[in-house]
Amino acid sequence: MRDLVQKYLSKTISRRGFVDNMTKAGMTIASAESVLSSLTSSAEAQTAPTSTQDAPVKQFQGTGGACFAEQLIACGVKYVFGNSASEDAQFYEALVDRPQLQYVLTPHEGPGAAMAAGYIKASQEPSIVMQAGAVGLMNAMGQVFNAYKEQTPLVVYSYRTDQAHRAGRDGFEEIANQEQVLQPLTKYSWMARDASMIAETTRHAFKTAWTPPNGPAYLTWHSNYTEDRTRTEIIQQSHFDTRMRVRPNPTEIERAAKLLVEAKMPLLIVGDEIYKAKAVGKAVKLAEMLGMPVTQMRQLWANFPEPHPLWVGNVPAGTLSSISWPKNYDVVINVGNKMQHSGVNPIVPHNVKFIDMRIDYNNMGKVMTTDAPLVGDVGLGLDDLIAAVEQLMTANLREQAADRAIEVKKFTDRARQLRAGIINSPEWNNSPLIADRVTWEVAQWADQDAIVIHEAGANVMHSFNFNPVGGRELFFYYGGHLGSGVGTSAGVKLARPNQQVICMVGDGSFLFGPHALWNMARLELAVTTVVYNNHAYGGPQSRTVANVPSGRMVETGHFVNGYLGNPDISMVAIASGFGVKGEAVTNPAELKAALGRARAANIEGKPYLIDAQVARRGVGWSDAQWIPPIKGSSMRTKKV
Amino acid sequence: MRQLLAVFSLILAILTLSPALLSAQESAPKAAPQESAAPAPNPGRELVLAKCGQCHTDSMWRDQRQDARAWEATLYRMVGRGALWTGEDIKTMAAFLGTDFGPSSPRIKPAAR
Repeated sequence: MRDLVQKYLSKTISRRGFVDNMTKAGMTIASAESVLSSLTSSAEAQTAPTSTQDAPVKQFQGTGGACFAEQLIACGVKYVFGNSASEDAQFYEALVDRPQLQYVLTPHEGPGAAMAAGYIKASQEPSIVMQAGAVGLMNAMGQVFNAYKEQTPLVVYSYRTDQAHRAGRDGFEEIANQEQVLQPLTKYSWMARDASMIAETTRHAFKTAWTPPNGPAYLTWHSNYTEDRTRTEIIQQSHFDTRMRVRPNPTEIERAAKLLVEAKMPLLIVGDEIYKAKAVGKAVKLAEMLGMPVTQMRQLWANFPEPHPLWVGNVPAGTLSSISWPKNYDVVINVGNKMQHSGVNPIVPHNVKFIDMRIDYNNMGKVMTTDAPLVGDVGLGLDDLIAAVEQLMTANLREQAADRAIEVKKFTDRARQLRAGIINSPEWNNSPLIADRVTWEVAQWADQDAIVIHEAGANVMHSFNFNPVGGRELFFYYGGHLGSGVGTSAGVKLARPNQQVICMVGDGSFLFGPHALWNMARLELAVTTVVYNNHAYGGPQSRTVANVPSGRMVETGHFVNGYLGNPDISMVAIASGFGVKGEAVTNPAELKAALGRARAANIEGKPYLIDAQVARRGVGWSDAQWIPPIKGSSMRTKKV
Repeated sequence: MRQLLAVFSLILAILTLSPALLSAQESAPKAAPQESAAPAPNPGRELVLAKCGQCHTDSMWRDQRQDARAWEATLYRMVGRGALWTGEDIKTMAAFLGTDFGPSSPRIKPAAR
């Protein structure tokens, strides 16, 4: 009987067929009609319209593609970022009558994934990126790597190109175990084994990606499941999300509070979990209670107001030893920083008391010793720690904290003054521009609540005074797989249409992924893109020299891996091809004028690109740069 | 701390063997040990030692040859990257670098392979 019911509900047998089969099975016609009646009303209810759309759990019947669309809507997804995949036709079909789920066609899977990730980071809302089978997935993987490193909850889907009944034959665009390719880059990677499992697999992917510590998740299934008709449950996100917000161990909170109040010079390192938890105000409060200087290791966002008198600046190199001041810190507290170790030595030395607060438990205690591990949501953790510190603060301790705050402010005032001295560079007015002049001019021009997407590896976004509480925000390319900047900017602008979005990108990075310029033009995402164009991989060349100092490359000038000129690449021409207007500038006056035109274009809803011609600086550069002597024309024996 | 000391020692060794000195060592007969005294105090060298080693070794820049003005620009570039130096510090360091790592300073010979 169960088979018959299923066949009827999936419309593989008619009403008459259902009744006939039921009577053959021994049921009376009246009973069969009665069952049929109840099934009919149930089926109608399942496909009934919006009045039941918000039910936490609903039955749904349709193609696998429609089930997928329904579950995405139930997950809270508004935008699907994807590249064309004919095998997903039933999903596209389902989109036609579901306008609440918008599809953003991206002309390359890499920047498409960056755009999805940018949207997620700026909106903190769920989204998904999808590609054509294994081949599109390969293009997207670089940005999945970024999402993994920066802990962005990006959900990724691509179908398996083969049909279930001819899989494993090394067919067209097929690879074996496609879902396993993503395993090292994701928190969850799974192939649904049946069309009826599509919705559940989708839910699991979103739940895993969004359960902290966040990270990407991958889902796939044989493409014929997208076409198959099935019945499944669609469950609202609110009814499967774990809402995991953990409070740190209270004993460790007390231990941490005691360490902090007894410290002579505590130091706070802030990180991305603060931004995600919207807890910047709490971090400021803790720092102010203790008169505690604040810094940040390399992260995605600026997580503390840089204009604040307790902000001593970012850690310039790989460990705390590179910080200019203070040098006498005796207790260090990390709140939500991933503390990525790229060198041999621990970021916080073992002889300093270390409090580590974050939900990213897996990265705790790996390299650094921890005196007070505080695993939890940093928003809740800061609440508890602030309360615990408050209880311990005596009049004497408050006075000490106030004195320390004055001492910190003396440093930060002086540091601000010294940083402003950058305009005294003897090359400040040079043409071609120096990169720092470009950064400075854009910082003067930017809105007070501008969002700066930074993928210019050889440069630092000085002079912006980032402030995640209503001021300028930074989105840094933490993962390091290049080609993310333009796509990220497009996604950020889609999420935050009422804020100025500026993409600051190096020419090398830009060339890895300019494709989302087309999305900016098509979707009227008014981003200003500024390319630092020195026609070179400046950073890699500097590091190459550092790895082989005084070597043959230096002696001969034969560097094979740095120079991108001859011919010089025109970013304006590239932008034009994607439908984005722009201009090249070589000196400060031209740059200022171009920024004015960029603003005018943005006001009209148009993106704009500035190709800033920037001088190459460092070892091994010359006006007549050597390039390897390979000329196809001279190899010819006939001129074809 | 040990690594920091190692870095400083390396920089000290390199700066002590700055191109002008290396050139002299290559062309002149070997000096007697008692004559190879430490280089004369140079405030620019001292500042470079103290400040540049805060973040990196000299391997990234020791092959650079440029005049004091260009070195000054290079040092201001570091200000954009977090270096907290006064204009006076920068002038002093640039004067030293423009002399010992100036356009006509000999290149350091490639290490034997």
